[in-house]
Amino acid sequence: MRNAAPQQLSYASAMPHRVDQQLANGHKHAFVGRSLRKTYITGETEVHALRGVDLDIHAGEVLVLLGPSGSGKSTLLNIIGGLDRPTAGELWYYDTDLTALDDAELTRFRRANIGFVFQFYNLIPSLTAEENVRLVTDISDNPMPAAEALELVGLGERRTHFPAQLSGGEQQRVAVARAIAKRPGVLLCDEPTGALDSQTGVRVLETLAQANQELGTTLILITHNAGIAAMADRVFNFLDGQIASVMENETRVPASEMAW
Amino acid sequence: MVKALDTKLMRDLWHMRGQAFAIALVIGAATATFVMAMGVHHSLTETRDAYYDRQRYADVFVNMVRAPRSIVDQVAAIDGVAEAEGRIELYSTLELPGRITPVRAMINSVGDGGASKLNRLVLLRGRGPVSDKEGEVVIDKAFADANAMDVGDRIDAIIYGSRSQLEVVGIGLAPDYIWSIAPGELVPDASRYGIFWMGEKALEAASNRTGAINAISLIIQRGANEAEIIRHVDALTAKYGGTGAIGREDHLSNTFLQSELDQLEAMTRIIPPIFLVVSTFLVYVVLGRTIRTERGVIGLLKAFGHTNGSVGWHYLKFALAVALLGIILGSAAGWWMGRSMTAQYAEYYRFPFLYYQVSANVFLTGAALAFGSAAIGAMGGVRSAAALNPAVAMSPPPPPIYRAGLIERLGEKAGLSAVGNMIVRHIVRWPGRSAVTVFGVALSLGLLFSVLQFIDSSRAMLDNYFSRAQRQDISVSFIEPRNEKVLSELALLPGVIRVEPARAVPVMLRHGARSKRVAIEAAHSGEMLTSRVDAQGFEVTPPASGLMLSRALADQLDLRPGDKVEVELLGGRQTSATLNVASTIDELIGTRAYAQSDVLQNLSRDASPVGSANLLIDHAHRDELIGKLAEMPMVLGVTERDAAMELFERIIDENIMSMMGFYIAFASAIAIGVVYNSARILFSERAHELATLRVLGYHRSEVGVVLLGEVALLVAIAVPAGCFIGYWLARLMVAMFSSDLFRLPFAPERSSYGVATLVVLAAATATALIVARRVNRLDMVRVLKAHD
Repeated sequence: MRNAAPQQLSYASAMPHRVDQQLANGHKHAFVGRSLRKTYITGETEVHALRGVDLDIHAGEVLVLLGPSGSGKSTLLNIIGGLDRPTAGELWYYDTDLTALDDAELTRFRRANIGFVFQFYNLIPSLTAEENVRLVTDISDNPMPAAEALELVGLGERRTHFPAQLSGGEQQRVAVARAIAKRPGVLLCDEPTGALDSQTGVRVLETLAQANQELGTTLILITHNAGIAAMADRVFNFLDGQIASVMENETRVPASEMAW
Repeated sequence: MVKALDTKLMRDLWHMRGQAFAIALVIGAATATFVMAMGVHHSLTETRDAYYDRQRYADVFVNMVRAPRSIVDQVAAIDGVAEAEGRIELYSTLELPGRITPVRAMINSVGDGGASKLNRLVLLRGRGPVSDKEGEVVIDKAFADANAMDVGDRIDAIIYGSRSQLEVVGIGLAPDYIWSIAPGELVPDASRYGIFWMGEKALEAASNRTGAINAISLIIQRGANEAEIIRHVDALTAKYGGTGAIGREDHLSNTFLQSELDQLEAMTRIIPPIFLVVSTFLVYVVLGRTIRTERGVIGLLKAFGHTNGSVGWHYLKFALAVALLGIILGSAAGWWMGRSMTAQYAEYYRFPFLYYQVSANVFLTGAALAFGSAAIGAMGGVRSAAALNPAVAMSPPPPPIYRAGLIERLGEKAGLSAVGNMIVRHIVRWPGRSAVTVFGVALSLGLLFSVLQFIDSSRAMLDNYFSRAQRQDISVSFIEPRNEKVLSELALLPGVIRVEPARAVPVMLRHGARSKRVAIEAAHSGEMLTSRVDAQGFEVTPPASGLMLSRALADQLDLRPGDKVEVELLGGRQTSATLNVASTIDELIGTRAYAQSDVLQNLSRDASPVGSANLLIDHAHRDELIGKLAEMPMVLGVTERDAAMELFERIIDENIMSMMGFYIAFASAIAIGVVYNSARILFSERAHELATLRVLGYHRSEVGVVLLGEVALLVAIAVPAGCFIGYWLARLMVAMFSSDLFRLPFAPERSSYGVATLVVLAAATATALIVARRVNRLDMVRVLKAHD
């Protein structure tokens, strides 16, 4: 199942073809961004969250975004995930110009291509584990059965439990199952282990890596935890709204061998 | 210096202004209906009392066939009578140019210049008639307005069989004619029935009654026994054909006004409480929610040393401030609506002046009720805020626990989508709040339905009376009762297909200590045009012997079928007999008694038993026939059934349409208040979940479904509940609004359920959509970072 093809967007009508960037370094690029800027105006102060970011994200890679609070990594993740728009610059997802999409089209983009995992799980408390997964499979074109997604994260036995009846790690694995059930092209994880103890965190990271391996999903992780960077193909170090450096790992350390 | 806690209160109010305003709207509706009904009741009562007092409205009235003036002194000499006055009251037929149907007037005699001791005339324009100047009259304002007449106009009239020309010298009003209706009519029509006042000497001459009168009014001394005086008056007037003295409570004008006042009072007992109950529940739900979200703040306040009492008071003030807003809005609206309603009454009931003033007491009582119900609603939340332990309060509240219960399994069985499950489980998770939403919307629907039922009820009464009981085209009343020969005379007129006699004999019915003055109406064998129809629309025939009483009359006299009742004939021959009560009939209008015509004839032995006649006509000859009838000197009035029915419908429409706007607004206020608050609470509770759904790729409209789906489901449950509440509320209102004069049937049209449902659905939908727009403003980015 490697290299799951990105799902075609129904609105992909007049998208210009960016062959030049597609071919750079012989990698197929999931995302290509140029001069991305994001400026928030809060009250009377301007906050420059992104100050001109250029990036190429390879299809199927594991990418870790490292950096202190306020360095712009979450802002970038939100823009990549179609939750927010850049103030300036361009951003492509394969053939799709994300900056040209309106709200409804961005929603369709997320629905078709993006799986999210949040620090605080964001499960619906009134739905069982399986129903939380179904929340996504209900609206996807080619999902795996919700039960199968829960099997993948090792929670097949607990699918009828409500979030309040699950531990934090189990809840986060439900969130991962929810994210991978639709076989997304991209998994975006914002501090997925931030609220978990080390042992549980490792379990979650294993699950994410497994999705990357078995489904060919591009995996983008935000973390404060430099240790996690070892499991990545590449690491972007953020500072002051810019990518200060890019680090490539020769070999990826399996999640199971990590500890912090 | 405003305390910091009060600054917080102001900010909280501003922050929750939408919800606060929606609650204030419901409280305002309570205050408004209360202030309006009490204000109008109070104003009308004050106006009436002042009018009665100033113009010396009499306490007791008696009519006779003809009596010498000297009887007035005898009546005045009765122990307890303060003042008595005699006058002539005479029906006359008027000939107005271009009018086919006869126009009638009741002419009352007055002293020189319009003066009298009792029931004094109020001159609005012109002057009073000179006592001996023939033809000078003052006419009542409603008649003048309806016929565009003014001082100086001349009217051709037939008085006591001879034609004369009247000159309008003044326009006036009197306290004994605040409300009036022509005899034989069911609906007042000022264009066809006038009240005139003519000089005493002139009317004596015109009616051949020199030195004679046919009516006496009297005022009794404070504390005197009215019943005792009436007995004396009856004894004195019997030999002059007295028809039995009556007190104010039986005097037509006063009775109708009183029945209106009673209805207003009934309204204050039913409608404002509905709004108050809803507002209590709204405060309970909204404040409860606010306090749950402010747990941390409450903990902090207490940690800083605020007492339990001051924290509780802080939240109680929130509820009271909302109530205050409602009271201000409602008082202003109620005052304004009351004024326009009073003005409407002034059109219908003729007062020379109208005090519209709402006493401070009404406002204070309305405010006390509103504050009270808000405080009751706040009690639960305030007590939990006061009781909260600061250490516990500062830790986050335990998350809502959802477990696999019956509903969850049902949801799985029913194959609900994940979103469907979210909706259903949330409703079940907060049963109290869901119940308040259902109950509030249901009450709004029920209230509207019960008001709509009023229209149906009035129409059903109309149909019951006109279509089933009165099938004649025209009824003709005579100046004096005729013998049976008149029937063949009428039958010869052009276009007359069928003639039937009608007769009503005034009597006093006595049973033990109870007595009631009524007319016994005759049923004739073989009659086709009139019948006695009960509330269910079934025809009921009076028994071959004995009396049939309307249920209301039987109840008043404590009589059952099989009982004996003493019947005393009033007017003319003074005889009495004991008759059997053979049956009762459940009727909508009036308190009446019936007997077969031979039973009645045995009792009265009257030579001229025909009081009026009912005609079935060929409509092609209608104009010609009415013209001929109007020329007959014995004819007092001609009533066309269809015209009367139309007029009645118009009155119903006018009265109801003006009130309908208010009630639609009020019922909507409840629906809006309840739905807005329920949707806002839902939104704030679920903002996190809704934003999560948006992140997961749900469109705005799909997220809106989660929000609105719950509201829609609750409203859907509320619709049948509202129809059920409306059914019983309407029954209660029908019972409370019924009086001696009429009993409203409970007869809702199916469309009324539909209309009430549509209005409430429209209000609920519009309100929910306003809240749903917030989905557009959901912050997806923040939700990723925050705990829910």
